[in-house]
Amino acid sequence: MTRRDCVLRVVSAFSAAELLGAASPLTPVDQAGFRELVTSHKGRILLVDFWATWCAPCREEMPKLVSLAGRYAKQVDLLTISCDEPEAAVKAAAFVDQNHALSPRFIRQAKDDDAFINSIDPKWSGALPALFVFDRNGRQAQSFIGETNMGQLEAAIKRLLNA
Amino acid sequence: MKVVSFLFSALLAASSLVSAQEFHVGSTLPDFTLQQLNGSPAQFSSLKGPVTVVMFISVQCPVSNSYNERMNALYQDYSPKGVRFVAINANRTEPADAVAQHAREHNFQFAVYKDPDNAMADRFGASVTPETYVIDSRGMIRYHGSIDDSQNASRVNRNRLRLALDAVLAGQTPPQTETKAFGCTIKKVQKATP
Repeated sequence: MTRRDCVLRVVSAFSAAELLGAASPLTPVDQAGFRELVTSHKGRILLVDFWATWCAPCREEMPKLVSLAGRYAKQVDLLTISCDEPEAAVKAAAFVDQNHALSPRFIRQAKDDDAFINSIDPKWSGALPALFVFDRNGRQAQSFIGETNMGQLEAAIKRLLNA
Repeated sequence: MKVVSFLFSALLAASSLVSAQEFHVGSTLPDFTLQQLNGSPAQFSSLKGPVTVVMFISVQCPVSNSYNERMNALYQDYSPKGVRFVAINANRTEPADAVAQHAREHNFQFAVYKDPDNAMADRFGASVTPETYVIDSRGMIRYHGSIDDSQNASRVNRNRLRLALDAVLAGQTPPQTETKAFGCTIKKVQKATP
């Protein structure tokens, strides 16, 4: 799945909901889907934000992440992946809408959270918020577990842009 | 230049995950000191039983709170079998009086201790709430991870901690010795990097 296919598929799926004024539903993603997403963003710097509606630091930092990614939008993409339970999916969708996070926006839908977390990074405990930075080759370049230091994140982006 | 830059990035990536973790599954625990909610010290050696569950929990974390009833049920089911429960609050943002009030409100049957400066959380490598450890009669960590596989009790398929306890009580190896789950970060004090 290319990035363009991914966006088109989600945009068409979202159009009806958007016309009705409802929050755009989040797209489910599992381990395989996540790897495809990273691959489809090769050539650009990719930030992946794992968050949840129950996570206060996640809610606080999302607008800052959207703003920072927006300043580098020509070369940087930000993906948001909600780790909420399915019953909170509507609330999560409303939150990312409210924060103008770029589409497509995702919600993890893995049969096994343990395997899902390990597939992202075996060293990650599953603690949220968690932000992973991928370079233009789709390789994980840095991670921020817990509250993200925006200064350090911007420095990492600049480093990768100059690499 | 690119090689240097890549190496620098790689080092940064590694450093963001470095912790002072000392104990792993298979480690034998030394004695250590916790703090009772009245401020008095408590030695772990005086709290442990033939089998001990150490649980890092939180007052404010919604995920930890979604397990309050399940933690009480675990206590009720396993304390008659000789399992001791040691709950630890390592969040710098949650003082002892708030921890005590939270324990009363949720009718915790087990004692909760504070971990000043998250010293034990660091040594255990605990970074999330809830996060649990099963320790056998020799003081060896036999299981580390989540209580079960769903924050929503109605969707639990695998009671990981119960399976580990049943195995250790039977003198066997748990079916899974390390598991993970989404949870809140433990709000730790800032420490200088060694």
